[in-house]
Amino acid sequence: MKHSIKLVILLLVALPTILSAQKWFSRDAKVYFDATTKGSPERIEATNKSGTVVLEQASGRVEASVLIKGFLFEKALMQEHFNENYMESSKFPKATFKGKIDNLSAVNFGQNGTYTAQVSGDMTMHGVTKPVKTTATLKVNNGKIGFTANFNLLLSDYGISVPTMVADKLAKEAKVSFTGDLQPMK
Amino acid sequence: MKAKYLLALPLLLLSFLLNAQDDLLEGLEQEDNSPVLATFKGTRLINHQTVEVPGRRTLDFRIAHRFGAFNSGWYDFFGFDNGASIRFGLEYSYDGRLQFGIGRTSIDKVGDGFLKYRLLRQHPNGWKQVSVTLFTSAYYTMRKDPDKEANGFDKYENWTSRLSYAHQIIIGRKFDDRLSLQIAPTMIHYNLVDRISDKNDVFVLAAAGRYKFTKRAALTLEYGWRINEYTRTQYYDSFSVGLDVETGGHVFQMFLTNSPGLTEPQFFAQTTDQWKDMGIRFGFNISRVFTL
Repeated sequence: MKHSIKLVILLLVALPTILSAQKWFSRDAKVYFDATTKGSPERIEATNKSGTVVLEQASGRVEASVLIKGFLFEKALMQEHFNENYMESSKFPKATFKGKIDNLSAVNFGQNGTYTAQVSGDMTMHGVTKPVKTTATLKVNNGKIGFTANFNLLLSDYGISVPTMVADKLAKEAKVSFTGDLQPMK
Repeated sequence: MKAKYLLALPLLLLSFLLNAQDDLLEGLEQEDNSPVLATFKGTRLINHQTVEVPGRRTLDFRIAHRFGAFNSGWYDFFGFDNGASIRFGLEYSYDGRLQFGIGRTSIDKVGDGFLKYRLLRQHPNGWKQVSVTLFTSAYYTMRKDPDKEANGFDKYENWTSRLSYAHQIIIGRKFDDRLSLQIAPTMIHYNLVDRISDKNDVFVLAAAGRYKFTKRAALTLEYGWRINEYTRTQYYDSFSVGLDVETGGHVFQMFLTNSPGLTEPQFFAQTTDQWKDMGIRFGFNISRVFTL
């Protein structure tokens, strides 16, 4: 009797670890955004190649995070302004997403193929959290999952104001593309 | 014994449930350990060099302009009519650490060339709590000796007599988003001095600070304390107060200063006017950057 209880306890302790084996992750996901207006003389775009993503297969939960200071611009001064004046990255160092795949049954993680996932959740950026919804393409290929998600973010939603003097260059909405390869977590 | 196990069971169950709702990203996320950005808005605050160097592949075109002194009165419209001094500068950094620049100042017809190196960058965590930048510069005056006829000799007969130098160790810290301060032990060397009793070396402790009161505007302050006795000519410590305004690719700096000179040997050690007598002047710097 005593032993069986011990066994149950052991199982319970080990269970989260067993479940966590069903996670997929990436630490070098690419986040690219373009916030250039039509007809702007210079492009306002940047790329961050070290986004973190975790997908829990059983629940369909998805979490992603990216460091604001990791966005690289072509122009050093633009990068400084992005951090200092717009994103205030010393105060708000990260942008995060917490959500889930709504149509989890439509994705077969065990079979190679391309699946369309409906993803919804909360985006937190510049200290503001907003619900977002997008479609992601998942490509299961021999134990890896490639993903692509494109969505737009309205800067004003996140308390980022566009001064009139740059309104002819900086768009009110940023087009974001989020891509990467997920690997099984061991 | 059994009761104890039974008590532990729901606790474990609870911990499991909590664990399942845990942060998925835990242990995976990177820590932000990049250097502190933008301690100052530009490579110069008013007259003084700051700890900043331009970003990678950035060419900084600078125009510095000082009007005449306020105490010149109505006739010269308080300095706006005359006495303007100007420096044009082209300054470049390829890697965002090492900067070189050249400039030309109207007062004394000075050409200058300098190097600036960002030795240490302040980080939010760890032991690097300050930024340290080294600055070294040489100045060459191209003017003719005004007293050549009277004295019967040319004091610039030897071309090295036209040279002077400045060296600084600039130590700065961004305390928060608004307040940044720096101090810079400074050495100035003149190859040629006016009097036989004058010293060739001048030591100055330079201090500067800025307080940002909006995202794009800041109050700036500078003071240069001359430490050693180096001449019998009456000079004063340089003191300036100003406003930084940022407009996209430009930084516009406007200020009041008692120093008409624009090079380190001029404003640190040869400021002839003082605030007390309204020997102050209005000035501005414009910086425009290009990515090359």
